[in-house]
Amino acid sequence: MHSCNPIRKILSLIALVLLLTVTSNSVYAGFAVPDVAAGDAAGIQNVGEGKALFKANCAACHAIDKKVVGPALGGIWDKWENEAKLTDWIHNPSKFLESGDPYAQVLKSNDIESPMTPFPQLTTDQINDILVYLKNPNAGEAAAPAAATATTAGASDEGSSNWYLWALIIFLLTLAGLLWSVTSKLDKVVREKEGEVVEDVPLSKKIFNKNTLLVLLLIGSILLVVNIFGGAIDLGRSQGYAPDQPIRFSHALHVGQNQIECQYCHVGVEKSRHASIPGTQICMNCHKYVQEGPKYGKDEIAKIYEYSGWDPDKSKFVREPKNIEWVKIHNLPDHVYFNHSQHVKVGGIKCQTCHGKVEEYEVMKQFAPLSMGWCINCHRQTEVKFAENKYYSVFQKYQDELKKGTKSKITVEDIGGTDCQKCHY
Amino acid sequence: MSNKKYWTSLGELYETPQYKEQAAKEFNSVEETEADDNGTSRRDFLKVMGFSVSAAAIASACKIPTHKAIPYTIDLRKQVPEVMPGVADYFASTFTDGSDFVNVLVKTREGRPIKLEPNTESPFGGATAHSEASVLSLYDTNRLAVPTNKNKKSTWKSVDAEIISKLNTIAASGGKIALVTGTVTSVITKKAIEKFVAKYPTTNVVAYDAVSYYAVRKANQISLGSSVIPMIHYDKADVIVGFNADFIGTGVAALSNSKKYVANRVPSKENPKMSRHHQFQSNVTITGANADYRYPITPSEEKQALINLFAEIGGSISGVKPLSGKDANDGIKKVGKELLAAKGKSVVVSDSNDLEIQLLVNAINGTLGNYGTVIDTANAYNFKSGNDEALATLATDLKAGSYKAVIFLNSNPVYNTIYSDVFKDAIKKAELSISTADRTDETAQFCQYVCPDSNYLESWDIISPFANFYGFVQPAIVPLFETRQAAASLLNWSGDTTDIAQVVQAEVASITGTNYQAAVQTGFFGQPAAPSASSPNVSAAIAAIKPVAGATKGMEVVFYEKSGVGDGSFANNPFLQEMPDPLTKVTWDNYVCVPYSFAKEKGIDAQPAEKNVPIAKVTINGKSVELPVVVQFGQALNTLAIAVGYGREKSGPAGDAVGKNMYPFLTSNNGVTSYSTSGATFELTGKSYQLGLNQTYHTLMEDNALPLRSKRYRGSIVKETTLTDYTKNEKSGNEDREHIKEHFSHSLYDAYKPHDYKQGHHWGMVVDLNACIGCGACVVACSIENNVPVVGRRQVYRSQEMHWLRIDRYYNGNPDNPDVAFQPMMCQHCNNAPCENVCPVNATNHSSEGLNQMAYNRCIGTRYCANNCPYKVRRFNWLDYQAADSFGKVNDGKMAFIDNEAQSYMFEDLTRMVLNPDVVTRSRGVIEKCSFCVQRIQEGKLSAKKAGRPLQDGEVKTACQTACSTNAIIFGDQNNKESVVAKTFETSGRNYFVLEEQHFLPAVGYQVKVRNKDEQPARYFIYKPDEA
Repeated sequence: MHSCNPIRKILSLIALVLLLTVTSNSVYAGFAVPDVAAGDAAGIQNVGEGKALFKANCAACHAIDKKVVGPALGGIWDKWENEAKLTDWIHNPSKFLESGDPYAQVLKSNDIESPMTPFPQLTTDQINDILVYLKNPNAGEAAAPAAATATTAGASDEGSSNWYLWALIIFLLTLAGLLWSVTSKLDKVVREKEGEVVEDVPLSKKIFNKNTLLVLLLIGSILLVVNIFGGAIDLGRSQGYAPDQPIRFSHALHVGQNQIECQYCHVGVEKSRHASIPGTQICMNCHKYVQEGPKYGKDEIAKIYEYSGWDPDKSKFVREPKNIEWVKIHNLPDHVYFNHSQHVKVGGIKCQTCHGKVEEYEVMKQFAPLSMGWCINCHRQTEVKFAENKYYSVFQKYQDELKKGTKSKITVEDIGGTDCQKCHY
Repeated sequence: MSNKKYWTSLGELYETPQYKEQAAKEFNSVEETEADDNGTSRRDFLKVMGFSVSAAAIASACKIPTHKAIPYTIDLRKQVPEVMPGVADYFASTFTDGSDFVNVLVKTREGRPIKLEPNTESPFGGATAHSEASVLSLYDTNRLAVPTNKNKKSTWKSVDAEIISKLNTIAASGGKIALVTGTVTSVITKKAIEKFVAKYPTTNVVAYDAVSYYAVRKANQISLGSSVIPMIHYDKADVIVGFNADFIGTGVAALSNSKKYVANRVPSKENPKMSRHHQFQSNVTITGANADYRYPITPSEEKQALINLFAEIGGSISGVKPLSGKDANDGIKKVGKELLAAKGKSVVVSDSNDLEIQLLVNAINGTLGNYGTVIDTANAYNFKSGNDEALATLATDLKAGSYKAVIFLNSNPVYNTIYSDVFKDAIKKAELSISTADRTDETAQFCQYVCPDSNYLESWDIISPFANFYGFVQPAIVPLFETRQAAASLLNWSGDTTDIAQVVQAEVASITGTNYQAAVQTGFFGQPAAPSASSPNVSAAIAAIKPVAGATKGMEVVFYEKSGVGDGSFANNPFLQEMPDPLTKVTWDNYVCVPYSFAKEKGIDAQPAEKNVPIAKVTINGKSVELPVVVQFGQALNTLAIAVGYGREKSGPAGDAVGKNMYPFLTSNNGVTSYSTSGATFELTGKSYQLGLNQTYHTLMEDNALPLRSKRYRGSIVKETTLTDYTKNEKSGNEDREHIKEHFSHSLYDAYKPHDYKQGHHWGMVVDLNACIGCGACVVACSIENNVPVVGRRQVYRSQEMHWLRIDRYYNGNPDNPDVAFQPMMCQHCNNAPCENVCPVNATNHSSEGLNQMAYNRCIGTRYCANNCPYKVRRFNWLDYQAADSFGKVNDGKMAFIDNEAQSYMFEDLTRMVLNPDVVTRSRGVIEKCSFCVQRIQEGKLSAKKAGRPLQDGEVKTACQTACSTNAIIFGDQNNKESVVAKTFETSGRNYFVLEEQHFLPAVGYQVKVRNKDEQPARYFIYKPDEA
């Protein structure tokens, strides 16, 4: 039988492909990309430029150390024959494929979702910078961790100062007790010298007599009443509330590290009373591509896929989206009307004013007490953007007073910001 | 002493001690309380209190209740319009109820329709009580969720398959199919019917109207040669004469009529002119109440009156005989003269479904040359296209068993025709019976298949109210249930399964060729034609008139439609059930209206409490019915009046068993349904009934003069004058204002803090008593906008209804024929508000913008404010009407319309979808009242701020203002010198404030009511300084 067995043929082909894949490092000897030392200023500058270029052009589909849409780019210098071929590939991948380069064929045979976009605008120098950055992603950032440690140390001071305070109080109390016993003994001695018969009352009896008990009782009841009132006022308030959420979403990562604007997800904040919690349709704008997070890996992002009905293997929506039932953190009572757009768009209030440093929150929490006193205080102190907004021309008297200088600023309260029916209707 | 005398009820007319006692109290004594029933003692109360306080503390210490925040999620695989949570979207659509239509904007929040706003770009934009309330009908829990087969749930697939196969079998064997419809104004449904008939040629289509105008069409067929209902331009008429016509109330195109009517009824300094309106009437309607002169005639006298009038204007007719009443006889002479003086600029109208009456009306209008100017057949209405004779024939044929299939296209003849039993039997006998009702109604319950129609807010459609004008209907929400538009069902059975949206799109293109997007955006297309009409054939009309036969026996009965539930199709809408009748102020019931003198004769007028009315047994043509009795001032003697549209059995929990069904009492006059009859007897049963009646309490008394004033000064609530006097003096009827300004320029209670509104906003309102026709659309709009609960008949009986806005109705003059005045009354937002200084917790106080604000969460329910409110506009939440206290256990509350007690209808998740999310639901134990729609003020200000521009006048409109198609209510900023409100307050001679002499400084200014009367009636109040 001279004809090949088709199964054998297929098997050998598979073996060949596997061999090629496994040994793809060794298809070519690769080319050299320089390392950048800590003190190498020029090198660090190259890394910086490369990083910017990478973020602008490549990061949508590539990461350094893992496959996203396209393959991981760390170590590609070992896989390509020379930089010229890599440059050609970047400038026009489909054209380069036609040249029949074996590594390009490997790339094609790999399970890549979409063909690479051509980047004809990237110059050889720029590609070089990107490569330098890929090889030395952390160059020039050595000083940063030290600074971070310093901040952490500063934060832990608070606990120790408390301890000192307690020690001081105990010391002072002991001192007071000692002094009191010394003076009373001296007093006794003096009075005995003058001929008085002084009954020796033990210290415990002196302290625990009727009067002191009464005083203690009084203090106790005042404390109790204050506590009850305080507790009653705080009923239903939940400052610092940070419940577990169905997805471990980190504002620190998205806002702090990735610098995503608040409005990108909270689209209603300038238009509506609700800042609005983004639906999966907004998450998926990025997470179609960003499939792995730095902390929880693929687990949490897989939940978004589950909710949004996205099949990452097929790269498309296959089901109707499900609702993510977030645990509501900011619970204003029903009888309070609050409008985000009034505060953010008209008032120009920063999100952080009421929500705290969200960019640092690993877990979202309620920053403000959301009590009426807190609202009113802010309305009393906050200045209205009187000059910029023509709506306020209706307040002619204030406008005149501002011009004359008899009034330096107009607060929200001045224009009726503490009226009941500004928030309750 | 003043010689003016206004009254709202019998008790007030007689000033009975019971009335005085009742009116002096803010809160009516409640006959029994639940606490008394249970025997709860003070100790029990304390025990419970003690427990609940500690329980609350423990519970709150343990855990915070978790709430979920669900994002607005979009399926990216579909084309979904972008929705911004918290921002309303508006869809242009059209509402119709078979006799009227409105171009509306459907306000949706997060995809839920919550309110209808007028489409101001359309000449037919506006609001009626029906259109405003229709949003709630969308969320009616009694709607069918799936098609049914023999009252069992089924699927569209199986139902369609069975129906098509049966239709084919019947059609193949030549069996007749009856398709019974109401008036069809939908172009799409008409097309669908055509297709259906083409597919099944044995189909006989019969349209009928529960309240029919067939005689109008038939008379016009005789005198004009086409069976039209012409458009009437009331704005072009100087003299309007109505004969039992309710053209601004329940008649054809009442909304458009009322706009035109009022356009020529509000005199101003610049243009001190208004039309004159005479009304010959048996029972009192809104139209009659707005007339300048009213003449009571019995229904049987109407034809004689018209014969006399025709002779009076020079027509030649035999059989002229004087009427029984002197007023009416004099009236005919007066009206005849005025009509002759206004040839071509006058109109005579009647709503009576009587061919001869309509022919006489045509003859009179033809003689006067009113066709082509006031009467316009170029824009004839498609409303009320029912054919009584065809219905009668159908009934005969059905009885004979000649139909194999009966299909009811949104019609309910078992309930609302006189052929109820015929239809019942016919359905049972038929091989195929289908109803497209949205619920298992009286007719549908007997049908084998019920194929539920979608609500119009879920549908695509084109409405054609009159030729060349179209209203576009588009869905504002996906169908809540598995319902299908009736037109789509018909098309489906005809073998056309095209998506109804595409059918509509193609139809828009074929009608006008206009851009489809434009129709979607504007909600209407087409143009009314220029008014024109050919003159009617007067002699042909007169030839058909037979002389009036001898006098009738017994009492005469008028069957009329109420503006609330209408012909009964809206019976399950609690908003409409609780909307007080404009005249009788009764909610939740029909009753027999009796004339005042008759009541006096029977001794009914001296009832101790007016809400406990006697029950009478009325026998009409051998059938009798027991109904509560209501005295109606101004009703014709020897006449009884009873509303149809009540006594539903299968409408749903709100509408069932409310009142009695009067449709079976109607009679047929040669196949034409007659809405009046004679030979009735009336006898008291000795029983009494607790009526849900408003306005014998919560009422302003003119005798509320403060004893501290040195001289009794009878206050100013309603002010009136005549056009003659107004033309001479702009301040006529309002002369006392100067005196008030001079002598009553301070408050009795000097602790009121002066308010400074020199800058910012100072909200105010103008209410024009000439423009207000009393229709009640504003009341419903207010309730929908502000989440005002419906409370049910029993609570209304206990004087515990919640309406923030009421329309006070005052009578004055002769109790048998008084003048009527309507006065919308809401919180007056006084600067010196007597409610504010009695609140122990400062829950009600004044805002920097002049609003009398109410902080519900601060209110502890002492009700001192309500007690101290001189305008009686504050309402107390006696019960938890809206599940505001239920801590999320919303579904535990069951629909409970026990004895029409609507206490927990808002406990249903589905019904709650209608709630306005910008307004809080108030819990039990707090006071609420009109807020001047503060949520709209805030929204208007915010959008101005966002755009960085000053707020324009007219940008903020209250719900009542938008619902008022006649512009009787105008809201605005008094500080904006360009605003209508500021200008009216400043310059109008008609402007006055209610109870102005008490110096409450209200923010609502009323405009003196001007009647177009020749002379000042002696009873009018004339200001004389020495009396004050």
